[in-house]
Amino acid sequence: MRELTPWLALISRRPWRLVLGGVLILATLVSGIALLALSGWFITDTAIAGILLAAGTQVAVNLYVPGGGIRFFAVSRTVARYLERIYNHDTVLRLLMDIRVALFRKLASTNRVGQSKLSGAQWLSRLTSDVDALDTIYLRVIAPAGLAALITLLVTLLAWRLFSGTVALVLLATTTLSFVLATAIVYVRTRKPSYRQADRQEALRTAVVEHIEGFAELRAAGRTGRHGAWLLRQAHRMNSEQVEIDSRVGWHQAISQLLINLSAVFALWAGYALFESGAISGPVLVLLPIAILGLAEVYSMLPDAFGKLGATVSSAARLNRDVSPAGKADRIAVDEPSEEMALVASDIAVRHEGFAPVLTHFDLTLARGERIGILGRSGSGKSSLADTLAGLLPPSRGKLARQACVYLTQQTVLFDDTLRANLVLGNPEASDAQMWQVLELVELGERFAREQDQLDTWLGNTGSRLSGGEARRVALARVLLNPAPLVILDEPFTGLDADTRGRISKRLDRWLEGRSVLSLAHGSETLPATDRVIHLG
Amino acid sequence: MTAPDQRNVRRWLTELAAGNRRWIQGAVLTGTLAGIATIVQMVLLARIIHLGVLEGVPASQLTGLFVALVFTLIVRAVFQGLQTRLAAQCSKRIRRSARRQIHRRWQASGPVAMGRESPGALAREWIDHVEALHGYYARFLPQMQLSVIVPLLILGLVFWVDWLAATFLLLSAPLIPLFMALVGMGAEKLNQQHFKSISRLSGQFLDKVRGLTTLQLFGQTEPAANLIARRSDQYRVVTMKTLKVAFLSSAVLEFFASVAIAVIAIYVGFGLLGYISFGPADELTLFSGLLILLLAPEFFQPLRTLSQFYHDRAAALGAGAEILARLHQGVEGPPPRKSVQSAPAAKGYEHVVTIDNVTLTHPGDQLPWFRNLNLTIEKGQAVALTGPSGGGKSSLLYLLAGFLAPDSGEIRVFGQAPGKAGFGWLGQKGFLVHGSWADNLRLTSPDASDIAIDTALRRVGLGDLVNGRKDGIYSEVSDQGRGLSGGEARRLSLARIFVADYDLILLDEPTAGLDSASEIFILESLRKLSQSGKTLIFSTHHHALLALADRVLTVDNGEVADA
Repeated sequence: MRELTPWLALISRRPWRLVLGGVLILATLVSGIALLALSGWFITDTAIAGILLAAGTQVAVNLYVPGGGIRFFAVSRTVARYLERIYNHDTVLRLLMDIRVALFRKLASTNRVGQSKLSGAQWLSRLTSDVDALDTIYLRVIAPAGLAALITLLVTLLAWRLFSGTVALVLLATTTLSFVLATAIVYVRTRKPSYRQADRQEALRTAVVEHIEGFAELRAAGRTGRHGAWLLRQAHRMNSEQVEIDSRVGWHQAISQLLINLSAVFALWAGYALFESGAISGPVLVLLPIAILGLAEVYSMLPDAFGKLGATVSSAARLNRDVSPAGKADRIAVDEPSEEMALVASDIAVRHEGFAPVLTHFDLTLARGERIGILGRSGSGKSSLADTLAGLLPPSRGKLARQACVYLTQQTVLFDDTLRANLVLGNPEASDAQMWQVLELVELGERFAREQDQLDTWLGNTGSRLSGGEARRVALARVLLNPAPLVILDEPFTGLDADTRGRISKRLDRWLEGRSVLSLAHGSETLPATDRVIHLG
Repeated sequence: MTAPDQRNVRRWLTELAAGNRRWIQGAVLTGTLAGIATIVQMVLLARIIHLGVLEGVPASQLTGLFVALVFTLIVRAVFQGLQTRLAAQCSKRIRRSARRQIHRRWQASGPVAMGRESPGALAREWIDHVEALHGYYARFLPQMQLSVIVPLLILGLVFWVDWLAATFLLLSAPLIPLFMALVGMGAEKLNQQHFKSISRLSGQFLDKVRGLTTLQLFGQTEPAANLIARRSDQYRVVTMKTLKVAFLSSAVLEFFASVAIAVIAIYVGFGLLGYISFGPADELTLFSGLLILLLAPEFFQPLRTLSQFYHDRAAALGAGAEILARLHQGVEGPPPRKSVQSAPAAKGYEHVVTIDNVTLTHPGDQLPWFRNLNLTIEKGQAVALTGPSGGGKSSLLYLLAGFLAPDSGEIRVFGQAPGKAGFGWLGQKGFLVHGSWADNLRLTSPDASDIAIDTALRRVGLGDLVNGRKDGIYSEVSDQGRGLSGGEARRLSLARIFVADYDLILLDEPTAGLDSASEIFILESLRKLSQSGKTLIFSTHHHALLALADRVLTVDNGEVADA
């Protein structure tokens, strides 16, 4: 449960909204109980009066107060329910926003090392479902449980006022037991399997993907049927555990409701003694058991919500783990080099955590205004080196000093947004003229001048409306807009043909005049103009 | 994939349940019995109150009724618990049959068609989409029947007690289908709207998370966080507008339920006072009046529960549509052709691989790829297939593997239908599963000994990698945070072929895109396999591999000729 703490703190940042939402739910539930209890009281009262009237006795029956009350509660139940649903749904959407933004800020404050695994599509989709699990915790768990407890207390108070202290105490005991059975005990009894479900499903997913990737080989060996049957058994086992959870939730629901019903029966039975002694009237005797029966509805959603709480806790645990800082300083501190130098790396080792070092004893000096090319075939650790020099990956040993830099990563990353939004990332102050100028440089000026929305052209999901080469050039343009004195370009010309490469390379040379440039590529023909070239082993 | 229409999806969902109808019936039966117990509970409650309050029967004489009441409550709880258990069991079985169906479809469509799909998407269908059916079978379907049965039972009883009160309920009864439609429409719209806005929001969020490094590099994470907040807020405003309308439909249901209770309470009250002089009102007693009142909320309860489960139906329909599209996908293509199965084991062909007058058309193509193709390959030969890409090398391999079936003609592998006996297959991507080296090799040869596995791994040059680990062949393939390179994975696949000792080995571009170390090991392994008398057929452009072949065939434009 501790895993939930940071998220609960986040949720409780909107206290008044949560309270008001709770009050609306309370109004709905109380109206429902009051409608039935008052109706029961009214019917009993009229039945007694009816007999007296039939016997010719004069009795004054007040029809207007209970009649008005019944009508009022009928309407208030409906209205409160409608308002409650709208208001609380709005709250859920707001909480979703809070959680996403907070999560994003936390992810942004950790460095890349902590996130090396955080790129796969699978991880991203799990992140979404984990966040979704948390945003409803208020509406599914906290509010219903809190209000159920409150209403239980109200009903017990009513029993104390109308019946007696002893009756109230017994009722408090039975309803508390029912409450605990519907909440805490359900949670305890389903916690472990519920917690495990997500892991089981991930393991199964890995196995299914492997099965499909190896389908031809398995088929050749005549094993698709056997391996498929094995997968089916795994899936069945996962579902069997789920049936176990469902059943436990079901039984707890049944027993908790049974206890509520028994409490009502007890109230009726105990009420009789009071009725016979004349301590309470007939209508009052009827009112309390009916009110207690109404508790059943208040409790009905609890077991299911608490049965899922284990899964919610595991979601929270995963999120906590993923956003925890990687143990080291969040920002890699980089010293400024001496006057003449743009970058000085001495005896650097590049190493991803848990892997063998990619590069060791690497030295590099880049004077201000100098252009150096680094060549290495794919897999030579070129991109890891670039990450290290740019400050994404801390060197596992050695010293690094450099000026402020801008870095074009090997992977092209564009956002599902407008061209402008993608470009201004490079330089928030860039003017339209500057953007067009840099687009001309990468030969995209005409392409976007033709578009109806010009700079506001939507680039679509991960820039899907662009070809690979176009996307690469947008990413390059974004880097070129940035005024940093040191520019690091990793494979700047991916996906471009030789002619385009040549033309852009020339203009690039002029654009970057006076700045220091470090470019990395797998072949000299894909490297922009350089003063000297270093080959990686 | 074209989306099948909703009616077909619903029919498929029903057919899927066919084998497990008993479980659903069991869930409905226990639900009905719990409903009957509820009715009995209310009858007993009303009876006790009537006797005690109005007739002045002393508490001691009511003990029997109290005991009956407690007993009824226990019965109700037992049936309630059983209902959930049966429904959950039912859903589990149905999901298993759905998975089996999908897997059968995979089997029928074969490796070639499967290779064209994204494994992630197929896995999602098999896992998540099938899981999405759970709520439909475990909750919605039984509840739909219960929401007809239980209210009818209650209505019958109330009618017998007081037909006018029953008429109030009945008046709302014709409205019930209307409610259901309203609730359905509302829930459907709500579900769609919610789903849409949530997935859009997730999309925006994930997009930013995916590009987090880029944002960090440009120092733009804070503006991005603000953008997420702003966009979320915009979506919230839009979504809430729709929800305000969508929630109205369920409010209508609540409203009718509340009003019916209020009307009945007031009618009964006035009736008991003798203010109502028509109909059965003068026969009302505290017992009948209270009973009607207690039953009124129970009359509406099943429907309210159903409305809570409506999103289960929407989810199942959505997932079902995608599963059904997948199941139908292969059917639209050519049906599995019979020649594969029917080719009889022929005498005199035990030592050759023959392609006899084969014509093959790819689905969707007008002209055949191969027309009346004839080819004979001797057992023990190493045959290289070469030619331009798209010339038909892979298709020829698929035919020999039995992954594709010809339109006409016959293929025999050592006298048998292709694919009938096990053979070695090495695709362009190596394939490994989560687990130890031994697990990976025993996947295709379950009976392989430790020594055989060790030898095979050594032969493909993975010996050092394995022996460096503490548990040898029982160590995890991808432990120490390191996966296998493409070349190592392909060598692992080749090790499987060594262990299995197949007569025929088919390889599709075995050296394409490999690092030089892996290339050397694979060449050497293939040479060994060829020397030990295996029949090797591979497509390649690689000089060293062509040199290794006993025979080189050029496959171009559907023609196969000796080079």
